[in-house]
Amino acid sequence: MLPRRFLTFSLLVPTLLVFATAALASTAGGGVERMMIVFFISLTAVAGMGLYSGNSGILSFGHLSFMGLAAYASAVLTLPLQMKKLTLPNLPAFLADAHFDFLPAMILAVLFAMAVALLTGLIISRLEGSAATIATLALLIIVHGVIIGARDITRGSQSFFGVPRETGIWVAATVCIIALVVTRLFRDSVPGLRLRASREDPIAAGASGIGIKRERLLAWVLSAGLVALAGVALGHFLGAFSPKKFYFVDTFALLAMLIVGGMTTMTGAVVGAVTITVVTEVLRRLEGGVQLLGIQLPEVFGLTQIGIGLIILLVMFKQREGLAGIDEWDERILPRLLKFNSNAGQINTSVLEPTRSAGTLKADSLTKRFSGLVAVDQVSVSLRPGEILGLIGPNGSGKTTLLNMISGVLPVSSGGVRLGEKIISGLPVHRFSGLGIARTFQNIRLFERLSVRQNVLAAALSNWPREPVSQAQARATAALDWMELTDKAQLKADTLSYGDQRRVEIARALALGPNYLFLDEPAAGMNREETDALMQILRRLRDELGLGILIVDHDLPLIVSLCDRVTVLNEGQLIAEGTPEEVQSDPAVITAYLGRKHREENVA
Amino acid sequence: MLDLILQQTINAVALGGTYALLALGLAIVFSIMGMINFAHGELMTISGYTLMYCGLAGVPFVISAPLAILAAAGAAVMMERVAFRPVRNASAATMLVTSFAVAAILQILFQNLIAKRSKPVMIPDVLSESIAFGDFLIGINKLLAIATTIAMLLFLNWFLKRTDVGIAMRAAAEDFPIAQLMGVQANAVIAGAFALSGMLAGVAAVLWVSQRASVDPLMGFVPVLKAFIAAILGGLGSLTGAVAGGFMLGFIEIYLTAFLPEHLLEFKEPIGLGIVVLMLLWRPNGLIPAAAIGSQKV
Repeated sequence: MLPRRFLTFSLLVPTLLVFATAALASTAGGGVERMMIVFFISLTAVAGMGLYSGNSGILSFGHLSFMGLAAYASAVLTLPLQMKKLTLPNLPAFLADAHFDFLPAMILAVLFAMAVALLTGLIISRLEGSAATIATLALLIIVHGVIIGARDITRGSQSFFGVPRETGIWVAATVCIIALVVTRLFRDSVPGLRLRASREDPIAAGASGIGIKRERLLAWVLSAGLVALAGVALGHFLGAFSPKKFYFVDTFALLAMLIVGGMTTMTGAVVGAVTITVVTEVLRRLEGGVQLLGIQLPEVFGLTQIGIGLIILLVMFKQREGLAGIDEWDERILPRLLKFNSNAGQINTSVLEPTRSAGTLKADSLTKRFSGLVAVDQVSVSLRPGEILGLIGPNGSGKTTLLNMISGVLPVSSGGVRLGEKIISGLPVHRFSGLGIARTFQNIRLFERLSVRQNVLAAALSNWPREPVSQAQARATAALDWMELTDKAQLKADTLSYGDQRRVEIARALALGPNYLFLDEPAAGMNREETDALMQILRRLRDELGLGILIVDHDLPLIVSLCDRVTVLNEGQLIAEGTPEEVQSDPAVITAYLGRKHREENVA
Repeated sequence: MLDLILQQTINAVALGGTYALLALGLAIVFSIMGMINFAHGELMTISGYTLMYCGLAGVPFVISAPLAILAAAGAAVMMERVAFRPVRNASAATMLVTSFAVAAILQILFQNLIAKRSKPVMIPDVLSESIAFGDFLIGINKLLAIATTIAMLLFLNWFLKRTDVGIAMRAAAEDFPIAQLMGVQANAVIAGAFALSGMLAGVAAVLWVSQRASVDPLMGFVPVLKAFIAAILGGLGSLTGAVAGGFMLGFIEIYLTAFLPEHLLEFKEPIGLGIVVLMLLWRPNGLIPAAAIGSQKV
């Protein structure tokens, strides 16, 4: 997140740019002006589509249905009354006598589209990834069908004409600026950050307390509103349109802009809209067959569409994030230009102290079956605040599965997990962090394309809006400091070394202000020095913050020197528990690790 | 009334079977690569044009039909090699967009190189005849569609369960990295999946064209849109789900056409999709969800 004054700057520049372009276009007039109006309207729609697709990572084919709904809704309201009687004789009474000015009609139409979005969003937000995308496709077809079917209001598939041409260059520019500003603000808002974190890794997001149901719905409705704005402007620019205008051909063109530029940023929307507009303008001239260097080129129907298709392929092959990448223009320039340090200010590590008092965490005879295979078989463990419990065992003994159950990532087959008196197994995973349980993953799961600080901040904000942003920021800063990551806070998570990535995961877990911390092989991939430093940190976490730490690792020296108690699993069953010394000399443990023969030799 | 219901049920099975074959083709590729192939419809169109050209050249239908199926399978393998291999392992959105672009390019190529408008396809007369069963008539093309669908489903079941390639494909669908460690060749399995999926599109195209006797550049677009919806209705990536979703969609469409009051017929499409959406509300992961959902490695 950028500090407010930088955000103001980042918003002011595109605003001025759009107005300057609009001023130039309006002096040029004629074809140039019309082209720029279409450009601004397209950019409005693309920015709106990006608000949803870019942050959530779910591609949508359905946004043009909101554009269409809003265009028709506003046009019915602004159509002159005599015209209405002539072209729409069967209009329902409440519409037949209604006449609104452009601005109120625009507002009503946008609200109407957002209401439809709210209803459809409740359904679509229940679906994941590609299924959600296909559902948006169904939405496009449904709305298209409804618009054609409702011919008393829309004139069916015939042209709807006589709409006052209210959209000039200044209206288009204003609408465009609204879309750019809203998109940019949403991206850097708390819901935006949550969505982006979940886009990168939904499982880690869940475990970091990041629930996204409401955020997705919010993004869907907001983006529908912006696209609807574009629809109203387009309808009142064209003056006449039919349902075809809001179907596949235009969806293809707008999606091309979104994808070619890069759908995750406002910058990408601008770059994409410019690129596709320029290419379209050039190819359209060639389409009709022109004379080039004395050679008559043949007429090629659909040259623009082929050109756009090829550009999409090229971008997908060479630069999947789109031409503009995943950072906003100002995010590339400002940190270097102004050398700002978002960690500036006092670091107060006491903010990480758990605020809730926690009872003992008890897992009672937990069992996990994977279709026949019993991965964990009636294992009971308990963990108190202020102790470090080691969980060891050979590969495949069920350590990670046990940890996944206690942290709510996997449902239990039988048994239960209690925190104090409260039964917590069965709760959705994003509720666990609120109960004071945080974890890391064996296969590192970071929000890869976000910065280190954003990784940690996204988790710290999991209590927002119940807790102010400033408090979350203080916790994120303290967690970064604790894990010695302050210098690397602005780097992208996927550029870090293995050991650093593991420390970011721990910082992210700490930022939740947990009572309990589960670490799944935190030292894997670290050298001895890094491991020693990590052990030092973990001891301090126990002693200074009073955390209860459950640690799974294969590094026995680490386990022995760090842990207060050790639990040993083998083939899904608990075979020993006690102090490190007791466990080390337990015959069952030696057998499990080294095989029976070795033990017999040892005993002999 | 009973006659009407029976008659419409046969129509529904015939149409649903075609959707099922298309959805199955989509599901095979999706289960292995996580990719939704938007250009699946263009494979159908290629098949349709093959039938058209064969008809013009006087090739008999019994030969031109297998040729058309082969053409779609070949085109699918080529499509993967040229356009989809560079984005393999990319995000689902990236692969989807790539195939979307391929579809758009192919549609324009058909329009420029073959014809902008619909072209007639010669179909044997016998296909447009009907057989009388007691009181009602069943079109031979409908019977052919039903019989072919059943035969294809049986073949696929055998292929995936009994042949080495089929088993490798199922392993890859379950866990591709592990399957590769076990010696399954990624390129071979993916090429195989596309060949199979193209073949299914080809069969669906032959059935589709034999009932309409014409082909146009956008021929595959609408049926494949339906197949997408059938695939999520059934459960994305689930093969049995795809078949169930295909038949379900066929039934919804045919019954709505037959029994919807006249003034609502215009809304047939939105109502049908609306019903699908309601079913998805009831089962968000589809009628028969893919096994992989939920057992994702953490």
